[in-house]
Amino acid sequence: MAKGLTKSFKKALWVYHCNSGSCNGCDIEIIAALCPRYDVERFGIKLVGSPRHADVLLVTGPVTRQMADKVKRVYEQMPDPKAVICVGNCGNTGDVFYESYNLVGPINEILPVDVHVIGCPPRPEAIINAVAKAWVKLETLEAKK
Amino acid sequence: MKQKTTAKTSYHIPIGPIHPALKEPVYFEFEIDGERIVNVDVKLGHVHRGIEWASRKRNPVQILYLAERICGICSYSHPAAFALAVEDMADIEVPERAEYLRVIQAELERICSHILWAGVAAHEIGFDSVLYLTWEIREKTLDLTEYLTGNRVTKAIMMIGGVRRDITKDMIPKITKTLKYLKDNFEKLRRIFLDDKTVKMRSQNVGILTKEDALKLCAVGPTTRASGVKKDVRVDTGYFAYGDLDIDYMTPDVLTGGVNGDVYDRIIVRLLEVKQSIELIEQCLDKMPSGDITAEPKIAKLLAQLKKVNGEGVGRYEAPRGEDIHYVKLDGNDAPFTWKVRAPTYNNILPWIPMLKGEQIADIPIVAASTDPCISCTNRVAIVNNENRYELDKEELHRLSIEKTRRLMK
Amino acid sequence: MSKKLSPEEIVKYFKDEFKTKIKSTQIRKKVAGLKKKESYSIWMKIDKSIFKPFIKRLCDLQFPHLAVTSGNDLGKTIELIYHFTLGYGTRFGEIVLNVSVELPKSKPEIETICDYIPGALVTEREKQEMLGVKIIGIPDTRRLFLPDDFPKGVYPWRRDETGPEKMYKNLHEVKK
Repeated sequence: MAKGLTKSFKKALWVYHCNSGSCNGCDIEIIAALCPRYDVERFGIKLVGSPRHADVLLVTGPVTRQMADKVKRVYEQMPDPKAVICVGNCGNTGDVFYESYNLVGPINEILPVDVHVIGCPPRPEAIINAVAKAWVKLETLEAKK
Repeated sequence: MKQKTTAKTSYHIPIGPIHPALKEPVYFEFEIDGERIVNVDVKLGHVHRGIEWASRKRNPVQILYLAERICGICSYSHPAAFALAVEDMADIEVPERAEYLRVIQAELERICSHILWAGVAAHEIGFDSVLYLTWEIREKTLDLTEYLTGNRVTKAIMMIGGVRRDITKDMIPKITKTLKYLKDNFEKLRRIFLDDKTVKMRSQNVGILTKEDALKLCAVGPTTRASGVKKDVRVDTGYFAYGDLDIDYMTPDVLTGGVNGDVYDRIIVRLLEVKQSIELIEQCLDKMPSGDITAEPKIAKLLAQLKKVNGEGVGRYEAPRGEDIHYVKLDGNDAPFTWKVRAPTYNNILPWIPMLKGEQIADIPIVAASTDPCISCTNRVAIVNNENRYELDKEELHRLSIEKTRRLMK
Repeated sequence: MSKKLSPEEIVKYFKDEFKTKIKSTQIRKKVAGLKKKESYSIWMKIDKSIFKPFIKRLCDLQFPHLAVTSGNDLGKTIELIYHFTLGYGTRFGEIVLNVSVELPKSKPEIETICDYIPGALVTEREKQEMLGVKIIGIPDTRRLFLPDDFPKGVYPWRRDETGPEKMYKNLHEVKK
């Protein structure tokens, strides 16, 4: 999968997805990553319905004023160790929405981001690559303990 | 005398390409009595990014790319409607070959969108394996889209006055191969969705929208066609090359002979539209004339031409979810004076209220998903701030929906 | 509606009743495809005083489909444009009717049409919050798109001092 993954993570990696106001393009590609063509479930990566069970947070979209609070709350609900992946150009730099009266900043002004995935929308392969990198980070965090 | 106690509860219902973890907030507030819904209040508000305001600093060609990112699923509809509006205002004549190419791309997107919706609806009923099956079919269609345009989702193929890429003779075998694959699998899809007993039990007589309500509330798209109202911009006005093609309104009585206006009818309408789209693409490939693919290939000249024009234009397009309308006013500057976008889901929000009254809580996901809402198109956000509420989150609601299916299957 | 109406007939239908209060009309024709099928659209400017009777007369002709209302800030006035369509249901029979009403900025008020067309609620609420127009008689006055904590008196579509410039943010900015 990725360099640095020396031994397998003790449990499977559970991912929670949060949409902070995106156009849904990135969200479709995230779900396409679960479908039989790319099939991440064979690696043990699963999409869960609650942030309390998740290890990795996938955030999409430029953060609108209304969603800034919610995204922060979701991040706080996740237990340690955790990683944040920012999917898509909107969350990274604003992309086409770089000037607006209703958006509050790229995501790294609100949450600490570990992996940035660029693309509009990024291909499912790029998203899987990002999750693998986050996996490596979580493994190193776990090994440090 | 027994007093009816109604408890005010509000549900956060994520709608969109749905999956357990996807959260696109549309907040409903329900008053329930036992298991039945007595009253519905739809509070909107969601993804307001200030797009129409952002257009005041961009020229029309840049707005095409901005319009694509209003919504990822309907990423062809918004540039198409915008191009129609500008062409209406500036009297730009589009070459015939470009019109046919536009129809092919439009119908391809319609197929992808309806199949996406079919998977989502199946997931709401509880058939996850059908979600994977339909999305696998969609992947093949996305392969074709990528072959023709270069990308899966944001295609950037529309240009004011034509299209940006041509379909050459050596691309046609791949198109016919994919169409054949779709036709072979269409029977499978039809059998799963329309002949299955459980799907019928969950979707018939649920979420009914009567014809009068659909007319009064100005509903659009498959939602209104499933209630028997014949509104389809492709047939009514014949933009692009639809005037030459053999196309008719797709209402449920084409298949079943009667119109109920329930969720089952909406499934019928969407599946029939997939078949119709496949036939339209075949007709286009047969009849396509030769010629230019755009009225003005040099963008600088096009922008100079648009700068001289003063006026207003309206462009209407039939997106997979309904009628998409854009209004543009140019006044001689680089950027337009006004740009108004009205996505199809905008008009389909009010019909949620009569559809949900009287239904059970477990039916909320399937009824809400049956109108195929695309919330990022609608630019809505609303947050309910009420006291006395408990939150049923997406997992709870989805679980209730699946439990009902299992109960019915016994 | 059983027979297909032509755009000239529709314009005549309104001019008969309202005569001079209709300030201008324009009929546009568009052709498309190889067979060059035509589609028409009508642009009308009417006076604010006949707005409600105009809508009633329109509903008597055929129940229209209200697509959306758009708005322009023209300096001293606010212009609201109602986009209706008539004649849906028959192939090539639809005619787009764009009705434009101007309101003075000192008193930007207009009556609601929700009693004739209930589907207009969503678009009227949007005009209230985006342009600062007061819709008299609207059943629901809450905000639609903007968050509840957005400051009152800031209207995103306006081009004067009540515009949204104070809420502006540039996401590309790099802070040192």
